Amino acid sequence: MNLLFQSRYYTSYQSDRDRKFLFDFGHKTIELSFCQLLAFRQNVHKMNLEAHFTGDNKHGIEILVLCNKEHIFILDTHQVVDLKEFMKGTFAMLELNSLVV
Amino acid sequence: MKDLVRQKLGIHVEIMDLLNEQIKKEAHSSSIYLAMASWCDHNGLDYSAAFFYEQAEEEREHMMKIFKFINDNGGTAYSPEVTGINHDFDSLEEIFETALDQEISITKSIHNIVFRCRKVQDLTTEVFLQWFVQEQMEEEQTIRRALELFDLMGTEGLGLKLLDERIPGIRK
Repeated sequence: MNLLFQSRYYTSYQSDRDRKFLFDFGHKTIELSFCQLLAFRQNVHKMNLEAHFTGDNKHGIEILVLCNKEHIFILDTHQVVDLKEFMKGTFAMLELNSLVV
Repeated sequence: MKDLVRQKLGIHVEIMDLLNEQIKKEAHSSSIYLAMASWCDHNGLDYSAAFFYEQAEEEREHMMKIFKFINDNGGTAYSPEVTGINHDFDSLEEIFETALDQEISITKSIHNIVFRCRKVQDLTTEVFLQWFVQEQMEEEQTIRRALELFDLMGTEGLGLKLLDERIPGIRK
């Protein structure tokens, strides 16, 4: 297993043998195919961080459902901020790997 | 480490995002033309209505082309939401002016993706988009021809009705 990126709350790995990606949320590790990874990325992209501060999402909670509803996560503002940076970092590392391979 | 992303996805992930944005724009365009067709229909401008119904279909076809391209190359295409469509127009001339502005906006968007493809070296998508670059040039030419009719004929008296009858001729 190859470490891709690590942030405050999350860690991502790529498994060459299984051709899958693993995401460690601290209390839980999930396995994703590439297609599921793209869906995960889209879900994170859609999270509106501004709404946490403007009052539209005054509780500052995001519900993240992944892998065709197999996993559910409830995140607070800090975790969402970190998750957005984490996703950017993971894909930056994947792109870097594409350049060197 | 294996390049799993490249194995699964034939286009650049950033370009996939831009193409998904383009899908939204094409769907939005299609709905705008449908609104225009409806206005023309209510105002007895049958040939202009038929033109815009056809335009609405064409924009949807453009959207589907991009949609399938993304999925065929291992990406994920997203079905777009369409909101905020204007149904109030002052005149047929305003409609065609709005249509031209809409086409110019789509052209700029396509060109922007092509430039981005060059920057990230996504030749696959750049070649795919060449068809759209050509198509947008033709779309702008068609709408421009309609606006020229307004300059030549005016809309006083029977002018508007006669102009409407010439609309089918703007497609070459």
